[in-house]
Amino acid sequence: MNREAEGGAGARDRILARIREANGSRETVEHPGTLPAGLEPPVAYGGQRPDPVDALEDRLSAAGGRVVRLSGPDSARRWLEEFAQEFASVSICEGVPELLCPSLPNAQPEQAGLGVSMAVGAAAQTGSLLLSSTEGRRSQLLPPTHLVWVRAQDVHATLGAALEARMGDLPAALALHSGPSKSADIGRIIVTGVHGPGRLVAAVLEESGDW
Amino acid sequence: MEVHSRDYAKRARAILRDTPGVREAVTAATRSFDDHRRSAFAELDGEALRDWAEGVKSHALTHLDRYLEQAESRLMERGAHVHWAETAEDVHRILRELVEREGVRRAVKAKSMLSEEVGVNPLLEAEGVEVFETDLGEYIIQLLGEPPSHIVGPAIHRSLEDTQALFSERLGTATDASPEELAGAARGILREAFLAADLGISGGNFLVAETGSIALIENEGNIRMSTSLPRVHVALVGIEKILPRLADLSTFLQVTSKSATGQPVGTFVSIIQGPGGSRGGEPDGPEELHVVLVDNGRTRLLADPEAWEALRCVRCGACLNICPVYRQTGGHAYGYVYSGPIGAVISPGLVSLEETFPLPFASSLCGACAEVCPVRIPIPHLLHTWRERAVEQGLTEGTARSLMKGWSRAATHPRLFDWIERAMAVLPDGISRRLPMLRDWTRGRSLPRATGPTFREIWKDGIE
Repeated sequence: MNREAEGGAGARDRILARIREANGSRETVEHPGTLPAGLEPPVAYGGQRPDPVDALEDRLSAAGGRVVRLSGPDSARRWLEEFAQEFASVSICEGVPELLCPSLPNAQPEQAGLGVSMAVGAAAQTGSLLLSSTEGRRSQLLPPTHLVWVRAQDVHATLGAALEARMGDLPAALALHSGPSKSADIGRIIVTGVHGPGRLVAAVLEESGDW
Repeated sequence: MEVHSRDYAKRARAILRDTPGVREAVTAATRSFDDHRRSAFAELDGEALRDWAEGVKSHALTHLDRYLEQAESRLMERGAHVHWAETAEDVHRILRELVEREGVRRAVKAKSMLSEEVGVNPLLEAEGVEVFETDLGEYIIQLLGEPPSHIVGPAIHRSLEDTQALFSERLGTATDASPEELAGAARGILREAFLAADLGISGGNFLVAETGSIALIENEGNIRMSTSLPRVHVALVGIEKILPRLADLSTFLQVTSKSATGQPVGTFVSIIQGPGGSRGGEPDGPEELHVVLVDNGRTRLLADPEAWEALRCVRCGACLNICPVYRQTGGHAYGYVYSGPIGAVISPGLVSLEETFPLPFASSLCGACAEVCPVRIPIPHLLHTWRERAVEQGLTEGTARSLMKGWSRAATHPRLFDWIERAMAVLPDGISRRLPMLRDWTRGRSLPRATGPTFREIWKDGIE
């Protein structure tokens, strides 16, 4: 198996033995159970607009992201063509439907101006888009602008519900993107796009159906 | 990391005297963190939420063996390598073997306090590996050759002007470069490092037993990159980082982020289950994932009947931000990787009370830290516990002990008390401060001044 046998197995057993000894005479504490709904941090930003897609829009916007809501395939296509005009090249994650791929020359993620991915979920409570490593991570991380498609039916009210929905099918790495890359490490002044994308655009597909 | 905590008072004095800007920068930064925390908690039932979070962490700690084994199994099922390290030397050996086997030339690091604790950078550099700290604040202090000053903002003690001067000298930026230009210069260098690195090193905010997930919170995207771009990813995780279930994680991500910076959640969160790339059947990502479960004093802390509660810590930094003592100097005075109130209660347990002795005294015991701690660590109580132990072990200054003895003698002998009271009232401050015992006592304290008649004189004359 993968456990590192050389020297490691002894360390493992000794650490576990010390833990058991340390806890030996200690009273065990019960798990307090699922967080009661009343204790959940609020979903709606500023106490308004409780609808998950509205709340996602409010939270993501507050964090410096941009949210576009599109009613159907035609409007999505029209918006995408216009949006794509400011970029010279694109890097598209695996599995983004053909219809949602901008007609731009493809480039390596480290060269492309735009990265496009498809969220596997979203959480209104934290303004988070859930991205899976199965579609490839480089296009999510390296281009300066990141366009993420989200289906409205995948937007959950709470982060807990959004993660639970992925529970049975966890990729190597699941990521939450909740705004553009930012840092305040230089003199407490906020700078965006420090390492990851400095622009985050979430395009919500509001009409349910097969995109 | 070497421990310099015994010099706390000397280091604190030097910081206040030689770099007065540090106090200003740290106070401003911590106040701003704390303001954001306050507004984030204003919109929820913070007290009940903290009770719940305390319960989950205490539960995890009292079942730690079981959950670590569970996490290990899950990770191994996904093809991750799991290592156990009892000491910093064990971590070094694991890294050294990996560097040799994989022919590592360049490593990118995502901010990890544990990597500071076990001294990863000096080890890798000694092995001939080029190491890049990729968090902007960590990159700044790496250039300066300094340890982090704060758990969340490692460079909060440095002003814009400091970084302008540093980058102008080291990276050739203009002396009046804007924060954007400075960040751009760092990004250029670090982007190249990300793309060329063989090894990515991260810590871990949480380790979820149920799914074997390592969760990491950040704002810049450098952790996602460090754990996604190089061929090998090593995650150093303290054994106390366990959460039982994925359902616990969603709340802990929020509670930690809100306590640290007031954000609903950090801008980027990575939830890592195993290797990616061809090993994980994915288009990219590291081919190898090594998870190192580190003890390095944690089981000793767990065995402590009182201080074990400090292992609940989620490293949010809220107790540093509110601490009137930490604000004066930042983290460097504490002489160890963990500073502020939490540093003063975990360092004696992780290292030893002898080596970190004055830290539990670096507090006014005002209690603010206990009020902001999201997992209800009784920090003031633990500071007291360590102080009592320091006295029992004879670590406190002889003068303080004899003064206390002298005081209890004076306070129980009215005539002696009367005599001292009169003497202190007439002796000028400059002279009383030079009295042999008081000289030591007043080095870190101000001497109360007697004004007007004493209470006993008033009593004798009769109160109107």
